[in-house]
Amino acid sequence: MKKWFVLLLTVAMLLTAIPCAMAEENVTLTFAFWDTNQEPGMRAIADAYMAEHPNVTIEVQVTPWGEYWTKLEAGAMGDSMPDVFWMHSNQFFKYVTADKLLSLDDLDYDYSPYPEGVTSLYTYEGSHYAIPKDYDTIALVYNKEIFDAAGEPYPDDTWDWAKFLEVAKKLTDPENGIYGFGAPNDRQSGYLNLIYQNGGFAFEDGKSGYDLPETKEAIQFWVDLMLKEGVSPSLESFVDMGVDDQMQAGKLAMCFTGSWNMSSYTSNDLFNGKFDLCVLPQGKTRASIYNGLGYAIAASTKYPEVAKDFVAFCGTEEANKLQAERKAAIPAYAGTEHYFTDLFSDINIACYTEMIAYGVQYPFSPNKSLWESQEEEIMTSVYTGELTVDEACDKIHEIITDIEG
Amino acid sequence: MTSATKPAAPMLKGRREHYDPKVVVSAFLLIAPTIIGLCVLNIYPFFDTIRRSLYKTQGLGPEVYVKLKNFADLFKDDMIGHATRNTLLYMVLTVPVGVMLSLIFASLLNSKIKGRDVYRAIYFLPMVVAPAAVAMVWRWIFNTENGILNIFLKLFGIQGPSWLSDPKTALLSCAIIGIWSSVGYDLVMILAGLQSISKSYYEAAQIDGASGIQTFWHITIPMVSPTLFFVVLMRAMSSLKQFDTIYLLIKTTNPAYKQGTVLMTLFYREAFEKFNKGYASAIVLFTFVIIAIFTAIQFAAEKKLVHYE
Repeated sequence: MKKWFVLLLTVAMLLTAIPCAMAEENVTLTFAFWDTNQEPGMRAIADAYMAEHPNVTIEVQVTPWGEYWTKLEAGAMGDSMPDVFWMHSNQFFKYVTADKLLSLDDLDYDYSPYPEGVTSLYTYEGSHYAIPKDYDTIALVYNKEIFDAAGEPYPDDTWDWAKFLEVAKKLTDPENGIYGFGAPNDRQSGYLNLIYQNGGFAFEDGKSGYDLPETKEAIQFWVDLMLKEGVSPSLESFVDMGVDDQMQAGKLAMCFTGSWNMSSYTSNDLFNGKFDLCVLPQGKTRASIYNGLGYAIAASTKYPEVAKDFVAFCGTEEANKLQAERKAAIPAYAGTEHYFTDLFSDINIACYTEMIAYGVQYPFSPNKSLWESQEEEIMTSVYTGELTVDEACDKIHEIITDIEG
Repeated sequence: MTSATKPAAPMLKGRREHYDPKVVVSAFLLIAPTIIGLCVLNIYPFFDTIRRSLYKTQGLGPEVYVKLKNFADLFKDDMIGHATRNTLLYMVLTVPVGVMLSLIFASLLNSKIKGRDVYRAIYFLPMVVAPAAVAMVWRWIFNTENGILNIFLKLFGIQGPSWLSDPKTALLSCAIIGIWSSVGYDLVMILAGLQSISKSYYEAAQIDGASGIQTFWHITIPMVSPTLFFVVLMRAMSSLKQFDTIYLLIKTTNPAYKQGTVLMTLFYREAFEKFNKGYASAIVLFTFVIIAIFTAIQFAAEKKLVHYE
């Protein structure tokens, strides 16, 4: 008797499950990304899409940056990736070369509203694999109080390296624990900007540019800010406190910082109102490293058509407005930037969007993850005095050439 | 299901080696969750690691069979040398001091003192805290300018070092954290060992007029030596596998990176930051061999040093 009852119950449960699987109308898409600061923006986009398409449910999954890639990789190996997810240029090649991303070519999409560099980041062998989401650039942030106290005029767009160094020296006051500039061992928000401003390059067309005199000179200038000129606190101090934390603690007069840090800078009540932004000082030429994210689709998705329709929606002006209004990031769709910049009325946030005109794409390659952390280790040896900049650059050049073949 | 505490399986009369099949089946069913877990989570990955160590990983693409190349690279890699040295140094720094402290505190907590249970709870607390939280708190304690440790030293006119970024002190700082977080657990083990020593030994010693220190050396130490051996063994193994605090405190941009990298953090960086899984597997196997050697040495020493009743 009892057995029959259990059996009946099981059959009943199975029957209720069948309609969900059979009716093609109801679709559930998973949508994964890593930044909790951007969750409100992403939810708003998902909600707007679901309102228009009642048969589609979008499940938002937020995973912190570190675990995000471990999880995505595991998902790729077991073909259980989320349907739609954010893609980063560091990782794009790995997924696209393994055929894990769905080609968006048959979507017949208009990419003209987006910065060309961001679109090209997610293009492989002539096919598109992601819709541009946002972009970021690097700017100079400065502490107004320190400039005022020293009676120095604020940085402006006429600054070059010499002027920049001169002011940084004037503002440095180690006795009171104040330094003119923060120059940590950092690539994207650090010396890469100088390399391109000096006419060199780090990595282009499958080749390393670390053997170029222009590249070496720029890295030397960056390292000297700490080691020779003494305008930056020591590498040890950056272990205790990151450069942005030191800036917000009032220990630095200036530093470079990415646009993605703006929501953290402005939400710090102790620092808000005390800082402003300026375009990067120029070298031989102007440059600022930029990077952009995209919305990609898993090749293994069960609903390719719905997923494509959703990412197409994510790329619309409306969706870009939705994410920008929630302080997510600088939207990729041309003309919607102001929804983001308007939120920061008291600082010169527009310099971030202005620099895209001469922005340089953050170097990328299929094997970047193999050499990027080695580069960081080798650069650490420069700061500890084990290697000269010249030796370190040659070593980095050798490693990249070796890996990229 | 796992907490079944029935008496031992009843045997069929007269035949010692043959068990009732029904009992055997149900016994296997009961241990199945653990056995399956062990196979899936421990045994299979172990053999898979050996297989992977012979392959070169290329992103998500197919792995390439490279024979023993990963192991050959192991001996050419400077960082392996640094990491091995640091790992052994970390063991030497943490195990003797940690176990000594545990033994001392356990002996104190074994005597009749006021608020004994409170002290026992306090010493055990570090075990309850997540390692990541421990690392974050210690990072503030060790902060060069605003850390409580250097502020304390300043009271005596001493300028403390940059604990976590000075190549001379970075590993030592990690070892201090390691000792601090392991004493509580070891102490409980040793305390259990101490409490199993029969009172009659101490009474006999008292009648013979032995001093406190004499009793400690001639009764407590030999009697607790099996527990002590177990604690040293476990502590040595876990110190060779130390990962979390060191990973969180010594990053690649740290000037003390070379002096503060151990084998497990090196493995993690290879496997999950550089996605070099094949080479990372070779590092793990290398660590496995080191641990096996030290465990063998300890078992050899056991015969001479450990006293069993």
